Amino acid sequence: MTGAADRAEALLGALRRINRAVAVLVGAGLMACAALVLSDIALRRVHASFGGTDEISGYVMAIATAWGMGYALTELGHVRIDILRTRGGAGVRAMFDLFAALVLAGTVSLVAIKAWPVVARSLANSSRANTPLETPLALVQLPWFAGWIWFALMAWLTFAAALVLVLQGRFDAADRAIGVVGEGEAPQ
Amino acid sequence: MIAYATFGLLGLLSLSIPVGIVLFLLGFGLDIFFTPFPLIRGLGNLVWSTSNNPTLIAIPFFVLLGEILVRSGIATRTYAALDRWVSWLPGGLVHANVATATMFSATSGSSVATAATVATVAMPQAEKLGYDPRLFSGAIAAGGTLGIMIPPSINLIVYGFLTQSSIPKLFLAGLVPGVALALAFMVVTVLICIVRPSLGGTRRIFPLAEMLRALVQLIPIILLFAAIIGSIYKGWATPTEAASVGVAGALLIAALFGTLNRDVLGQSLLGTVKITAMIMLVVIGASFLNFTLAAAGLGNELQTMLGNLGLSPLGTILVIVGIYIVLGFFIETLSLMVVTIPIVVPLVVAQGFDPIWFGILMIVLIEMALITPPVGLNLYVVQGARQGGRMSEVMVGAAPYALTMLVMAGLLIAFPQIALFLPNAVQ
Repeated sequence: MTGAADRAEALLGALRRINRAVAVLVGAGLMACAALVLSDIALRRVHASFGGTDEISGYVMAIATAWGMGYALTELGHVRIDILRTRGGAGVRAMFDLFAALVLAGTVSLVAIKAWPVVARSLANSSRANTPLETPLALVQLPWFAGWIWFALMAWLTFAAALVLVLQGRFDAADRAIGVVGEGEAPQ
Repeated sequence: MIAYATFGLLGLLSLSIPVGIVLFLLGFGLDIFFTPFPLIRGLGNLVWSTSNNPTLIAIPFFVLLGEILVRSGIATRTYAALDRWVSWLPGGLVHANVATATMFSATSGSSVATAATVATVAMPQAEKLGYDPRLFSGAIAAGGTLGIMIPPSINLIVYGFLTQSSIPKLFLAGLVPGVALALAFMVVTVLICIVRPSLGGTRRIFPLAEMLRALVQLIPIILLFAAIIGSIYKGWATPTEAASVGVAGALLIAALFGTLNRDVLGQSLLGTVKITAMIMLVVIGASFLNFTLAAAGLGNELQTMLGNLGLSPLGTILVIVGIYIVLGFFIETLSLMVVTIPIVVPLVVAQGFDPIWFGILMIVLIEMALITPPVGLNLYVVQGARQGGRMSEVMVGAAPYALTMLVMAGLLIAFPQIALFLPNAVQ
């Protein structure tokens, strides 16, 4: 039966690596956006401008936020209050963590499902932003929607792997996947 | 409804469900039981419009700026330079702790990052020079809280976003109380060290030439701060644009000092994405809760409740301060701010208070929460950076500074102009 636990750990390791790569891309996107904003400020000084920088920053923020969520999940970055949780032993803590992971996965899935009509409407009406750029909204909403689907997928996979670990009694490994990072280590 | 919301909030939080998710769940609950039409249909749109926001992108930019400064070793240089300037005071290096924390809070926008940086740099020095570990570590924890008050502050951006108030005005309003708190911390340190000289370690006086050389190290960071704040107030740049200037400035400084490399940049980007996602999950959850609370008629209910209590406006504020102090013992700061804004701010504004002023008061109270046990994030950060020693030492050391903050909160209530005169004067 240890085979299942090992596979769960391997899966968690893979999720961590993939999301790290995603996060580097997201970070690069944010840097590029900063560069765009910066050049727009410079151009404005000489009375030229691309226009629409604001709009683009908004889209970047929405997409970066959605795709960054999975990374924060695998790095245990989403804040939890663990006043009661810390009072229990390893088994009790594992129950708290599994419950929290399940609720998170369910809620995020609901958000992702409810995000689809937004995209569907833009696709059906070929909606464009009411701005000088006239951005086709589906173009930016699709990657945003995909980010939330990704987050939901990561949440379910993490929950499933952690469940296997807990069932196999591997509380320490489960804690690394869905526990609470000690407050001293949490900040970057 | 207020009772249901409050108990639901505390109950779900204590189950250690992630804070952002708790806010969604509470929103769903209110939607099912209290709103006249199902708001959940608008959930997708709300999540889209909250995150598709050119103002909020200032958050990752400011986080990135701080990450670059910290990871490229600029914080370490600043600490050494400030040491040359303040170590002659009674309390010596403790002032360098406060001063470094103040400078980094001015650029990085995050209290915890500031405390972590200063703690890592300063702790080895403290042992070498024989400082009292309580006072020394307490000062780092307290100084690090100034990060959310002195602009650019991520917490003030979030507050401005959720309450629809002007972020440049909030930044201006935070400047004077933030600097005043930093000075007050130094005065408190001097007083403590005059009464109990043994706590203060060795005072050192550096030759003028060395002080001037140190100044060279400080100039870039001071210029960066001036560029960010200056461009906002001159009206050249929005907070978002100023943040992008800050990112470029930080990269430039790191490159000038020769400490910018792929590793530093990669780690900074990863840290930024993680912190941004963490903040945004909470912010999006709070936006949804805000939306359901408004639709469920929170405003009317609060008015009725206040009418029944018969509290004066001052009484209301004092009750709110009390609630924040108690909640601050248990709830982490950004969460505390975000979960209370939808309920508390409409109440305060209905009583005729200025939302900008209240934002600053709330920040002082939340800064206190950062250094009050058992859940004081900065206490843990500083403890994490120490080599051994007990947690209680940091708590005791931070206590005088927590009291100073309480006094500042009292002053802000008595004289709102401390926060408001600067934004009003600039207008």
